[in-house]
Amino acid sequence: MKSWTGLAALLLLTVCSAGEEAADADDLAEQDWEEITAAADGAEIGIYMWGGDEGLNAYIDEVVAPALEESYDITLTRYPMEAPEFLSRLRTEREAGSMDGTADILWINGENFRIAKENELLYGSFADLLPNMDAYVNEDAPYVETDMGIPVEGMQVPWGNVQYAFQFRGDAEPPETMEELFSWAEENPGAFTYPNVSNDTGAGFVRHVMHHVADDPEILETFDEEWLEENGEDVWRILRELQPHLWREGRTYPETLEQQDQLFSSGEVDVTLGFNEYRAESLVDQGTFPEDTQTVGLESGSIASTHYLSMPFNTTEPEAALTAINYFLSPEAQTAKLDPERWGEGHILDLDALSEEENDAIESLSGEEIVPQETILPELDARYVDWIQENWEQEVVQQR
Amino acid sequence: MNKFWKVLLASLLILVFVAPVLFLFIRSVSFGWRFPDVLPDAFSLRGWQAVWSDPQLIRALWTTIGIGTAVVVLNYLLALPAAYALSHHEPRGKAVIETVIMLPIFVPVLAVAMGLHLFMIRIGAADSWIGVVLIHMLPTLPYAVRILKSGFDRLQTDWMWQGRTLGMGPVRTFFGLMLPMMLPSLRSCGILVFVISLSQYVLTAIIGGGRVTTLPILYFPFFSSADEAVTASFTMLFALLPIVFLVLLETALYTYHKWSRTV
Amino acid sequence: MSSSVKSWLLALPVLLFMAVFAAQGLYRAWLESVQVDGAGLFSAYTELLTGRTFWASFGISVYVSFISAVLSVVIGLWLVRLLHRYFLRDDWKLAVWFPMLIPHFAAAYLTVLFFSPGGWFASVSASAGLDGFPILVNDPLYIGVILTYLWKEIPFVVLMLLPVYQELDWRMEEAARSLGAGAWTRFKTVELPWSGPVLLEVWLILFVFMLGAYEIPVLLGVTYPSMLPVLAFEWFYQAGWSQRPLAQAMMVVLTAISAFTAFLLLYIIQRSRRRWLRGGMRA
Repeated sequence: MKSWTGLAALLLLTVCSAGEEAADADDLAEQDWEEITAAADGAEIGIYMWGGDEGLNAYIDEVVAPALEESYDITLTRYPMEAPEFLSRLRTEREAGSMDGTADILWINGENFRIAKENELLYGSFADLLPNMDAYVNEDAPYVETDMGIPVEGMQVPWGNVQYAFQFRGDAEPPETMEELFSWAEENPGAFTYPNVSNDTGAGFVRHVMHHVADDPEILETFDEEWLEENGEDVWRILRELQPHLWREGRTYPETLEQQDQLFSSGEVDVTLGFNEYRAESLVDQGTFPEDTQTVGLESGSIASTHYLSMPFNTTEPEAALTAINYFLSPEAQTAKLDPERWGEGHILDLDALSEEENDAIESLSGEEIVPQETILPELDARYVDWIQENWEQEVVQQR
Repeated sequence: MNKFWKVLLASLLILVFVAPVLFLFIRSVSFGWRFPDVLPDAFSLRGWQAVWSDPQLIRALWTTIGIGTAVVVLNYLLALPAAYALSHHEPRGKAVIETVIMLPIFVPVLAVAMGLHLFMIRIGAADSWIGVVLIHMLPTLPYAVRILKSGFDRLQTDWMWQGRTLGMGPVRTFFGLMLPMMLPSLRSCGILVFVISLSQYVLTAIIGGGRVTTLPILYFPFFSSADEAVTASFTMLFALLPIVFLVLLETALYTYHKWSRTV
Repeated sequence: MSSSVKSWLLALPVLLFMAVFAAQGLYRAWLESVQVDGAGLFSAYTELLTGRTFWASFGISVYVSFISAVLSVVIGLWLVRLLHRYFLRDDWKLAVWFPMLIPHFAAAYLTVLFFSPGGWFASVSASAGLDGFPILVNDPLYIGVILTYLWKEIPFVVLMLLPVYQELDWRMEEAARSLGAGAWTRFKTVELPWSGPVLLEVWLILFVFMLGAYEIPVLLGVTYPSMLPVLAFEWFYQAGWSQRPLAQAMMVVLTAISAFTAFLLLYIIQRSRRRWLRGGMRA
């Protein structure tokens, strides 16, 4: 019976600790930036972010966290968790009315931002409060205003910009347009594949096919049901025709990008792909990808994707979160992010707003341009992603 | 069986069940080992460096061992009486009890995770190690009850009667006579429960919210990453941890065994 | 106190725990599965049960779980019968139990390392000049999944079965042998009465576990048809959470099927245990 009393005691421990009421976005708007940073002093905050990349983790642990500690006495902890999971958690916390949130900063974009916004999981409009947003980010840039067709409304700020690129093995002449890629796949049976579209990289490939079908980058920027009805079948037809030439004759697809990277590394396929045109560099250095890996941004166009930082509705340290996010946008932090030794991904700074030295520093780290500016395609409206995910399996995989 | 067969069989067992893990170790210190190389041609400690360089690793190791141990102890407390009842009695509706106890084995974690999170918030155990320990009871209890029950099945009831007739009280019979005879079952139960607790990701993430950082929380994002050396090193760590626990458990059980003889 | 009441009381802590936790979670899943605005209470269930995707996944799930569970039990039984005398020694035991120390997802990773077309066995066979290593991972027959389950679960079967064989009264076996009984008759009359219920129980545990487990099939399965938990996971998170009712409905159905199978088998085991014991005594 002892055990039962123990359990009961545990269950009865229903002490709900209601913390101090945290300031909301309107309160903070009335404060000076100095007041906000002063209130942030000594705070402990956490960031929810995917933790599966050593370089990225090192960037946070070795660059950002020490800098925040030194300048503002803020302790930043990484909570490694993927967006679908922490958003599900936040929804439950919203339902339970729990204002004592775990994390104070979120790393999200696109589809996840839409879910968070629709379910009221975000803190509110805070972008205008950040001095660095004003000083170093071009606020007229399209990605500041909308994220995959969803109005941002200051509820998140851009953190990084990446382009979709393909990695080919070997010295063969890699294809340069979507059209060439399709025939390349046909000529090299089993060498190409893309991940399941439940994965953003997989859905990203299908988005490129959609751009290919639309043939005008502007058409897909806003959701158009009619366009889907007229052209949706073409998208599936192309993918169906591609299918028999893929890895395992298209009988199965890699479940995740990581799985495709493994196949690429072990030589089962000759192509891998993904957002961030510089991601292969560190993988080659580690001996994971072969030396002769070649990264290609298609001339026919490559989707540029922006990812953002936001705050959950139940942050207990909004002032510290704002201070930290402001630092994330500083030239110092953004430049360090370019270093391929650590993370090696694109910045969101407005080069015109920077000093000459800052520009030089960025140039020396950026490396050679893989995706030329003029071939960049806009990201699609997030509702197209839903359409892809809901229909791909039935329209493509099951049709063999 | 003659000696030849015995050796052959033993090596076969080791080859099938133990050798793959040793292979994993070689993998974790190799560099650029790719098809079709049968053996690696370069070595590097990069994988292990990546593991050790995580500033949260040491804390995560302690959290994992602590939570695992608490889960094992709590499992003993809850499962022993139930296992005893199911083994030595034939209550009415036994199949109902057994089905209910098996429930967590077949309920998909994802189905219950959100509901449990809500419940944990309400009782104030979300984001804390207490909540994580409680939630780890779910996938472990069914196995604990099963293993302990089969342990009790082997015990002859006459033994206990002898204890009782020798003037031992029920409590002393239980702790001095029965539990020592249950040691093999307690051991395998403890190990299995610890391993199950060690491999929980979804439940720990949802209930612990990342604030309770166990090893899988750190490791899962890396898992199936293209960097095989890192994946292999982390996997090795997962295999080593239960062995550490086994040593701890053996020490505890040995001490208990000695003590029970003096009773 | 009657024995029944006493047993229920002893099992009460566990039952209460299950009621509070498992039932709480399931109740919530049920709520989410029926809350479809304006589309009718059970629309998610109708959509699920009339869709081809679900039935394809259901078929492959039952196939994989059934085969893996049966093979694990059969091979485990064979090992125990062959080796139960050696298993008295700890080093033998440890060799077989070793895979139990390895989490399931790590075991799946081992299978990739060894059996994939870019894996070690393929390397060995290529160096030996053999072409065409068979596809055993991410294959439509789920051979990789089944292999991994065998490696992980045979030790569990041994663990559960060993006590039975070590306590078995082998004088009965001798007696039966001297009476001229064949191997099968001896197995049936001497061993089965004791090991039969345990075998069935272990099979049941493995079967329902595999029906609901996610980690191994997600790494080693195929895109279509995927096993039920993999499908549930996809539906749960994708397309802006719009398919959650469907995912929850599937998990509720899965739980119901498993619970029913479990209850039925446990009931049969309980009844047959008495019968087997009586039959065993008579021989």
